[in-house]
Amino acid sequence: MTINFQLKQFKKSPLAFVGLIIILTYTIVVLLTLFKVLANDFDTTHMDAAYQAPNLLHPLGTDFMGRDVMSRALQGTKVAFGVGLFSATLATLIGVFLGSMAGYFSSWIDSFIVWLYTTIDSVPYILLLSAFAYSLGQGLENLYLALGLTGWVKLCRLVRAEFLKHKKQDYIQAAQALGVNPLTQIFRHILPNIIHLILIQFTLSFVFAIKAEVILSFLGLGVEPGTPSWGMMISDARVELTRGIWWNLLAASGFMFFLILSVNLLTDHLRSSLDPKEKSHTI
Amino acid sequence: MIKYLITVLLISLFILSCTQTVTSHSNEVVSYLEANVATTDPIHSTNKYASTVSSSIFENLLHYHYLKRPIVLETQLAEEMPHISDDGLTYTIKIKRGVFFQDDPAFPNSKGRELIAQDFVYSWMRLADPKNKALGWWLLDGKIKGLNEWRNGSADYAKPIEGLKAIDQYTLQVILNKKSFQFLHVLAAPPLAVVAREVIKKYGDKINDHPVGTGPFKLKSWIRNFQLELVKNDKYHKTFYPKEGTIDSKKKGLLQDSGQTLPLSDKITIRIITERQPLWLSFLKGQVDHGIIPKDNYHQIFENKEIKTEIRKKGIRVLAQKRPDLVYISFNMEHPILGKNKKLRKAISSAIDKKQILKTFYNNRGLIAQGPIPPGLPDYDKTYTNPVSYNLEKAKQLMTEAGYPNGKNLPVFDYDLPGSATWSRQLGEFLKDQLSQIGVSIRIVPNTWPQFDQKVKAKKATLFDQAWVADYPDSENFLQLFYSKNISPGPNSFNFVNSDYDQMFEQFLSLPPSQKRFNLTQKMIKLLNDESPAVFLLHRLFKLPYHSWLKNYNEYPIIYDHLKYLRVDQHQKQKDLNKLKNG
Amino acid sequence: MTFQERIPWGYVAKRLLTFIPTLIGVTLLTFLIFHVVGGDPSYQLSGKNASLDQIKLIRKELGLDLTLTRQYLIFLKQTFTFNWGQSWSTRQNVNEMFLFGIGPSFFLAFPAFIASIFLSVLMGLFAAYIKSKKSWIDQTLTSTCLALMSISLLVYIISFQYYFAFYLGWFEINGWSFDWTQRWSYLTLPWLISLFVSLGPNTLLFRSTFLNEVHQNYVKTARSKGVSQIRIFTSHILKNSSVPIVTIIMMQIPYLLTGSLLLEAFFGIPGIGGLLIQAIQSADFPVIKAFTVMSTFIYLLFHLLTDLLYIFIDPRIELQDDN
Repeated sequence: MTINFQLKQFKKSPLAFVGLIIILTYTIVVLLTLFKVLANDFDTTHMDAAYQAPNLLHPLGTDFMGRDVMSRALQGTKVAFGVGLFSATLATLIGVFLGSMAGYFSSWIDSFIVWLYTTIDSVPYILLLSAFAYSLGQGLENLYLALGLTGWVKLCRLVRAEFLKHKKQDYIQAAQALGVNPLTQIFRHILPNIIHLILIQFTLSFVFAIKAEVILSFLGLGVEPGTPSWGMMISDARVELTRGIWWNLLAASGFMFFLILSVNLLTDHLRSSLDPKEKSHTI
Repeated sequence: MIKYLITVLLISLFILSCTQTVTSHSNEVVSYLEANVATTDPIHSTNKYASTVSSSIFENLLHYHYLKRPIVLETQLAEEMPHISDDGLTYTIKIKRGVFFQDDPAFPNSKGRELIAQDFVYSWMRLADPKNKALGWWLLDGKIKGLNEWRNGSADYAKPIEGLKAIDQYTLQVILNKKSFQFLHVLAAPPLAVVAREVIKKYGDKINDHPVGTGPFKLKSWIRNFQLELVKNDKYHKTFYPKEGTIDSKKKGLLQDSGQTLPLSDKITIRIITERQPLWLSFLKGQVDHGIIPKDNYHQIFENKEIKTEIRKKGIRVLAQKRPDLVYISFNMEHPILGKNKKLRKAISSAIDKKQILKTFYNNRGLIAQGPIPPGLPDYDKTYTNPVSYNLEKAKQLMTEAGYPNGKNLPVFDYDLPGSATWSRQLGEFLKDQLSQIGVSIRIVPNTWPQFDQKVKAKKATLFDQAWVADYPDSENFLQLFYSKNISPGPNSFNFVNSDYDQMFEQFLSLPPSQKRFNLTQKMIKLLNDESPAVFLLHRLFKLPYHSWLKNYNEYPIIYDHLKYLRVDQHQKQKDLNKLKNG
Repeated sequence: MTFQERIPWGYVAKRLLTFIPTLIGVTLLTFLIFHVVGGDPSYQLSGKNASLDQIKLIRKELGLDLTLTRQYLIFLKQTFTFNWGQSWSTRQNVNEMFLFGIGPSFFLAFPAFIASIFLSVLMGLFAAYIKSKKSWIDQTLTSTCLALMSISLLVYIISFQYYFAFYLGWFEINGWSFDWTQRWSYLTLPWLISLFVSLGPNTLLFRSTFLNEVHQNYVKTARSKGVSQIRIFTSHILKNSSVPIVTIIMMQIPYLLTGSLLLEAFFGIPGIGGLLIQAIQSADFPVIKAFTVMSTFIYLLFHLLTDLLYIFIDPRIELQDDN
């Protein structure tokens, strides 16, 4: 599973390659906004220039306070990456940790973790998420936390099932008989075997978090108002659309569409190249 | 077996959702409310939503004239205006004879019985009964002799109350603790509507589903979060459409039905549409007879403040409604920094461009507030301007004088939003931008309504926006917002405590509307502006759109029994609906 | 052996017993979250001219003055008696509210769900079939699905409502009719939206399920016997995939009634999703409690039913404790 191998794989799937290029472009945008090279005027208001249609000065128009929509959409990329990466990382860490604990050490640890995720899984997700978001309060960090703390169940279930499977296999049985340290078994033997599943689940969480930000912002639970996020822009657009102001919606959903599509294409490609049998349980 | 279960489940679901069918009514008005109706019980009817329903079913001794502006009281169930004794304390009220409650199984033979004075005694005791936790209790709190003692004591309905009794079947006597020039307005407030004891007894805690009053409409169905249907009460006592109004009532076509028996329609459907955008779209399609114009759709209807011709041609009209209200940003005076520093509050107030708010968020529909009292109420001084007005340079200077030049050493203040509406959030973003100009930084915190109310009423909020709509048309209703006895959880959410102000307010209460009261009020307003416990933003002017097939539409806050005056011209509706459909 | 006889009653009883710890976990979680988060609604319920006195009375009525333990025990009792009392904000019996809401939610969610499953099984089958022949068709289909999945639900709703209902005027914008012959005009658009949202993931899911089967031995055997490719797919593979298909369907059902929350809010459908949004926004604890417990129950029940259905579909399957 070297990089070389993957590049070769990309030749078979030009769409995934395009996806990769797009993601790289987005990453560059994020870096540029992070280092304040790009779209610095996102918060500059011109009340006289509110709701301008796309023009030369503002390629994607302006919003209700005369802020440049293009700049805000670009800044939104940064917010989306933050939300996606941080919450997916958190969810993955929790999911892998609990999943491997449960799968490896059966007994009461397993029962407890199974109970924990069954409990969390059976509460309606929107209720759980909004409860977390409310209790943590507004702000980006809290949004990462809320999404991360609620989003680990699927992965945990998956990892646990894989561990149960692997535990029955000869190489682990042998390692156990030899008295190899459980941590070594988990990290050196089993985890590398299921890394592709974790990777796929990670990208799914990434996409999910970005989509969730939109819904949460609409419900007033997302990022702090004033933050240039796609979710905020879409909720603004909701009331502006009937007035004929479409550029906010177009900018935010367009930026979002290409990012998510690219990640989706890449995930699909990863799935078929890393997991040739195309397991069905990963969506 | 599972197959069976599922089949049974499916069939029952199907039947469940098909049991009710809509029949089209020849004379039906389709109205709307923007929030869920929580109750039909008058004693809890303290907001527009509950009051609109309860005031269509129940009635008060007095109510407001539908057409006259500024609005005036007139009799409803009272035979004539209350007779007030010379000391201003004893009110003797004759009630109309021959008024019957709506038919209901709670009465013998299911026939509604005649209304008597004792019913008012019972209804107001019920309002005071602590078991009922009536939201409207504040209206009577401390006003009627012996009522507070009764509430705090036994609350036994058999026990007489000195200040509240029926002298005979048709005469009610009320004795006040002290003179109150607002008491006549209190008599017209929805929570003081009359109910029948038999009905309350029969339905117990299901009373919400069985409102039975003397009013023009009966509740036919109520599906929470969705819609209410009111049907005409055929036995409604003779009441007629008013014969006079303002000078331009005739021009507006509001006097065409003068002298007609009320209610004018057989049925009112009230749809609950909480989202503004769908409401607006439904209005344009003619699915509701009247509506609102969301701020972002203003330009679809208006061009240079006039209705566009093509919109007029479709039969859409607009009612301009000057609201007796106040939109303001509150400071919590108990905040260790904001509460102690008058100059800081003034700096913040001066940094906010009210004109821009009016333009961006209200399409210039409104008036910049110079003080708490809206125009149209007594004691409003149209010549007065607030010395603390928008002036960025002065704001910066005030910051220096306050000890925080350019916001140095100032913490970030939380600005709490009520609810999560886009509009409210955008106002927050605007304020954040405005205040950053003088170095004051705020953090915008969205809340649910319960969270917001809890923060404000438990004195935990710092900076927040609010609006106050008059409960009754008297300046007292706005001045009391700053009275120290009303601090949180009461309506004085600023927690503003000022003994000079209190003294003046108490003096105010003892005065009838007069030049003397006017002068006193101006002194109070000057004091308020100098202390700046709030940033007075504006008084709103609503432009309410309606279809011209809806006749006599003249909605106004405070007047909640308006539905009985409405009528739909079916012929015109059919014609206009086609126009709406064709573009 | 009849179906009833095949049900392992001992196993069912055991599984039902495991509901209890989960329900306790869920109630505990809901309770904790609510008391941290929900805010104390008595301040709001006391109205704009509130007094401390009034707030105290309301707190007492709502039972918020009791100790946390007692409040939780009441919650547990309600969970096992299914009696939630009255809603705090509408003063209506909670069970009645749900009974009213279930019909509309059902009509919103179910037809779209069935259509989505039906279409996506067909498309998944077609994609799996065409993959070895004309892989570009499979690729186009897959990419289309991925593209459909890349658009936020909110964007679908906003733009569809604006364009199809408002701009073109093809559908009602918002509302509901209790006359079912008129209901379709309100429901078509939300149906379409949920179809658009679910078609992508479902098609991909079924496609990979079918592709999983392609390499199985029975397919090779059938092929060697000269069974036509179309027949292999429509008969053999479809039949052998019944277990994963049923799993996918059954696992989605518990979310059906709660999943259309935003659709209900935007299209003014008086279902239980709208109830939940309202309840969260008004800290209406009785409704939230009822909602969580009921959906947990449905969730657990459908997991159990799915396992039981396996026996029905494939008699060879034996259920074990470890799912």
